[in-house]
Amino acid sequence: MHLQLNEDQKMIQESARDFAVKFVAPKAKELDETQKFPTELVGQAAEMGFMGVAIPEQYGGSGLDYVSYCCVIEEVARYCGSTSVILSVNNSLACEPLMIAGTEEQKKEWLTPLASGQKLGCFGLTEPNSGSDCGSMKTNAVKKGNDWVINGAKIWITCGTDSDTFIVFTSTDAAAGNRGITAFIMDRSTPGLSVLPMHGKMGIRASGLSELVFEDVVIPDSQRLGEENKGFKIAMNTLNSGRIGIAAQAVGISRGAFEESAKYAQQRVQFGKPISRQQSVANHIADMAVQIDAARLLTWKAASMKDHGQNYSTVSAMAKMKAGECVSWVTNKAVQVHGGYGYIKEYDVERFFRDGRICEIYEGTTEIQKLVVSRAVLG
Amino acid sequence: MSLRIYICCKQVPDVAMPFQIKEGQLIKDGLNYILNAYDASSVEEALVLKAEHGAHITLVLIGPDKAKEALRKGLAMGADDAVHLNDEAFEGCDSHAAAKILAKFFADKEYDFILTGKQSQDMDMGLTGGILAHHLDIPYVTNAVGLKADLSNKKVSVKRQGDDGQEMIDIPFPCLVTCSNDMNDPRIPSLKGIMSSKKKPLEVVALDGLGLTTSEVGSAGSPTNLVSWAEPDKRQAGQKFEGDADELVGTLMDKLANDAKVI
Repeated sequence: MHLQLNEDQKMIQESARDFAVKFVAPKAKELDETQKFPTELVGQAAEMGFMGVAIPEQYGGSGLDYVSYCCVIEEVARYCGSTSVILSVNNSLACEPLMIAGTEEQKKEWLTPLASGQKLGCFGLTEPNSGSDCGSMKTNAVKKGNDWVINGAKIWITCGTDSDTFIVFTSTDAAAGNRGITAFIMDRSTPGLSVLPMHGKMGIRASGLSELVFEDVVIPDSQRLGEENKGFKIAMNTLNSGRIGIAAQAVGISRGAFEESAKYAQQRVQFGKPISRQQSVANHIADMAVQIDAARLLTWKAASMKDHGQNYSTVSAMAKMKAGECVSWVTNKAVQVHGGYGYIKEYDVERFFRDGRICEIYEGTTEIQKLVVSRAVLG
Repeated sequence: MSLRIYICCKQVPDVAMPFQIKEGQLIKDGLNYILNAYDASSVEEALVLKAEHGAHITLVLIGPDKAKEALRKGLAMGADDAVHLNDEAFEGCDSHAAAKILAKFFADKEYDFILTGKQSQDMDMGLTGGILAHHLDIPYVTNAVGLKADLSNKKVSVKRQGDDGQEMIDIPFPCLVTCSNDMNDPRIPSLKGIMSSKKKPLEVVALDGLGLTTSEVGSAGSPTNLVSWAEPDKRQAGQKFEGDADELVGTLMDKLANDAKVI
């Protein structure tokens, strides 16, 4: 059993780390404060090959494995939750459905610009009254001749403000619930599509959150992704792999909180010695280190299973659940280790605390992951 | 016409990471090894020259199997090929022995210039480049912070950082320049660069391929005898003074004049 990265993966990790330190870290605080989408950073990430890490080279990607993808996401998330989720959305939620269900023509036309970073993509599934229960979605598509007419709205769409390409899930047979969902590919310029920016998030504040409104949007059947009424499976398969990226993001944010806490605890002197030598604080640091390593190993296990063509859906749910709970726990302790300094914006752990919290919510809540895992283990 | 550039590089422990010394010996377990930062600047400078004039860039490195990682990093940045001088007998080389090995390697090579870091981050000797130039009987400039190649006049114009300012020096091909990390900001290998580095030629040359004997290289061929390692003394805490501005200035002047004796 090998629990080490191979030579290529180590080089990728090192490059991603250098990129994050040089380009991402200096901007992270400002991005959080201004909520401004990091267009320049995303361009630089595209030059590095980070926008389609695991997409084959023939479709504009870097053609690497999912473990390498996890390394990239973790290193970027170490410094900036917003930037890491933008990469995750494009890699997983925009590119992956096209890989799963796209025709050759669709891959050439829509996937290649996304995976190469020339364009940015996002994923529209959630609605105001349809979250975990996506079968209850109200956005609908009605076939008229060779076209589809789409009406409705999507909410909480990460990267929506700056995306060129939208993967949108619609109800095409309301009575059939999950078995009546169809996916479409949509260009930003499509008449009737409105992108409404949303502000005021607790964390990952620069990730271009938006609402999408569809008013008699006409889409040709050539932009239907996959078979009619088979969209639920595309969404679930996309989220199965997307969860691995979010788990890697949670590990990265956790690591940021841990590293800052370890550094602070060794510098902060109280009662005549660094607080890292006070047992109660040292215990927090040890617990953080163990939580993060456990979450990372489960994340890499899920990624490795995907790379080896194994059924990874349960393990990806385990990884997302473990890493999501890890980041909430670790960032909470990081604030505690910093005391009052952890409660103000001057210190990064305050941002990590807010950024990490979403990892238990999006791409399947912790409760949904528990549902997936419990069904798998109970049979 | 394009440039023919060789770059001598080294893999070194990452000095930014903590290290341990026990009983005068450096504990090597757990150290993270990287491409020497000054050599990374040499690679970057060569790549800039390549973009301007066209060039074939070859990396040359002395080191054990693990040191191949540093060559791959340079190849991933954009160098064309690499030569790994790898033999157990090379273990423990000082600057003198390393330069002797490199001189043998370069004896039958044609090049416009050789670049190398001004020093390695681990030992900080800064000698290998100069000794190598001596063996090859070519002109050299150290501590370069800028470099321009003039192909028609077959020379390089080097801006070097001297003690009292920057000096502009022209030297003819073939020559050697040691590079400062103030010269540039080395590029980060892209994913494409990393994967293409696997396909680039990497030749391994051992002791017998250079026509050297074991007594001429490694510890045996090194006049420097590293006796033991020691950690630098811990920095003393500074002194804090309290009072109003007049008192503080008076105290400070007194300390500078009478304790530190610097004014």
